[in-house]
Amino acid sequence: MNSDTILIIDSIRKSFVRNIVNIRGKDEDEKFYVLEDIDLILPAGKITALIGGNGTGKTTLFNIISGFFKADEGKIEFKPNGSLIELTNLSAYKRAQLGIGRMFQDNHIFQNMTVLENMLVADENFFGERPFQSIIYYRKNNNVEKERIEKAEKIFIDLFGEDNPFLNMKNEKAKNLSYGQQRLLGLARLLMGNYKLLLLDEPTSGVNPVIIEKIKAIINYFVENKNMTVFLIEHNMKFVLDVADFCHFMSKGIIAVSGTPEDIIGNPDVRKTYLGI
Amino acid sequence: MINIYIILTTSTNLLVGMTNLLSLGQAALYGIGAYLAVLAMMVLNLSFIPTLIFVIIGTSLLSLLIAYPSLRLRGDYFVLATLGFQLIVFTILYNWVDVTRGPYGIPGIPSPILFGDIVITGIIPYLILSSILAVGVVSLFFKLIYSPFGRALKAVRDDELSAEAIGRNVTALKIWAFVVSSGFIGISGLLYASYVSYIDPTSFNLDEAIFILSAVIIGGTGNIKGPIIGAVFVVILPELLRFVGLPDSVAANLRQIIYGLMIIILMRLRPQGLAGEYALR
Ligand SMILES: Nc1ncnc2c1ncn2[C@@H]1O[C@H](COP(=O)(O)OP(=O)(O)O)[C@@H](O)[C@H]1O
Ligand SMILES: [Mg+2]
Repeated sequence: MNSDTILIIDSIRKSFVRNIVNIRGKDEDEKFYVLEDIDLILPAGKITALIGGNGTGKTTLFNIISGFFKADEGKIEFKPNGSLIELTNLSAYKRAQLGIGRMFQDNHIFQNMTVLENMLVADENFFGERPFQSIIYYRKNNNVEKERIEKAEKIFIDLFGEDNPFLNMKNEKAKNLSYGQQRLLGLARLLMGNYKLLLLDEPTSGVNPVIIEKIKAIINYFVENKNMTVFLIEHNMKFVLDVADFCHFMSKGIIAVSGTPEDIIGNPDVRKTYLGI
Repeated sequence: MINIYIILTTSTNLLVGMTNLLSLGQAALYGIGAYLAVLAMMVLNLSFIPTLIFVIIGTSLLSLLIAYPSLRLRGDYFVLATLGFQLIVFTILYNWVDVTRGPYGIPGIPSPILFGDIVITGIIPYLILSSILAVGVVSLFFKLIYSPFGRALKAVRDDELSAEAIGRNVTALKIWAFVVSSGFIGISGLLYASYVSYIDPTSFNLDEAIFILSAVIIGGTGNIKGPIIGAVFVVILPELLRFVGLPDSVAANLRQIIYGLMIIILMRLRPQGLAGEYALR
């Protein structure tokens, strides 16, 4: 383990229970392992991609890192600023507060809140979120709110330029944005927090090539301008080749092949079992 | 009565419209408020302002009993837990005769006494007092739902998973919403007890809980005006039916049917209610 490591995934195993009809025609619960034994080290300040067939457990691994699922065995350690933190017993919101940001496979933005509210609610500063805090500390609350709004607007301008749909639609409900715009809002929202590591689950799925280019630029911005580390699940191999520094191929519950994206694409096993070429 | 219902629906909106928590226990909390008010006024001999504070704090604290265990449950299980709470509270109020006098009820509840010597009796002074409280509660909730707290609740309502992913403690936010909402529902219990000067458990049964929820759903959720319109509607409708000359027995049934139809039609055509912002799914 060297000093540039941000996340250590150590022998993670995870099973689910599925209900099957057994040979005698009776219902039976069967335990099956999605993750057999995952070992992985994420280098800080880099972009690492995770690829693998549908249903191989990539999202499950992300859910274990962010604390939405509990692993059966193994541990995950996070090293946001020098010291190692064991995550196993921390709940999801605490891991987020420690600096692990997450974007889900479907956009999961707050549909019935405005575009701006989607940003403000994700601020790293929680002031005013206890019932009467904003009433008792009226002036401080106003100042914090003003800072939040400035921060959000600056993020929009930095990412999308002076004239952008997010500023123009900031007081409209987020569900009025197009699917691709919602994806971009989800990414922009990550800049409101104080994240060191971002987990992005299929950021390019279901959006058009123009948006994909924007997403590429934003991910590079996260790493180059904000010193974040990005771990992403991706099916689009061209995208992986363009953005990722490292790539891991997951198959049958383990990390089967690791290397640079070029190594992975060139690997005969990956070509046969995943890329189909 | 209208002010009592405005407080009930405005407080309930914090759960239903802001946090997506459908509670069937609102009448139980209303009842707890009323019985605590009786305790404060008739046993502890407190005057109005201390009674008010006692009721708000007491109802909030008792609501923790249900909030803490049930808010860890998701979706429908939470609704069932609040239903259980409603039934248990009713049963206690009904059967703990030594303390609550059960079905005999408690008569002779005194009128509110302000500042030592101003006794609020009669319709007009009472209307003024209850209006002041209703306006106070509504403005407080106005502040709350447009504060960062309200915004965080809306995030929980829209997407619990994302709310957690941005570092928000979803369970804690729900508990806060429940406790704050309950504290203010206690005020309606106090107003009711001192207004009708007699309470018994039947005013706080499951029918009443459903009635409160109906008012909120009809008026609409997620903003301030929806619940107020709901409260006005459910209080005015019976008067209206009486005004058109229907005999009471017919009017009572017709009223229920109208509420039921309203909810069905609104859910189809306008799921955010008459004046609400948030569409219940
Ligand atoms: N909550 C769950 N309960 C039961 N099975 C699950 C659950 N989540 C995922 N699975 C199963 O785990 C496997 C891997 O799913 P997932 O991690 O979403 O795959 P991927 O993201 O690689 O496409 C699938 O077979 C899926 O059915
Ligand atoms: Mg997946």
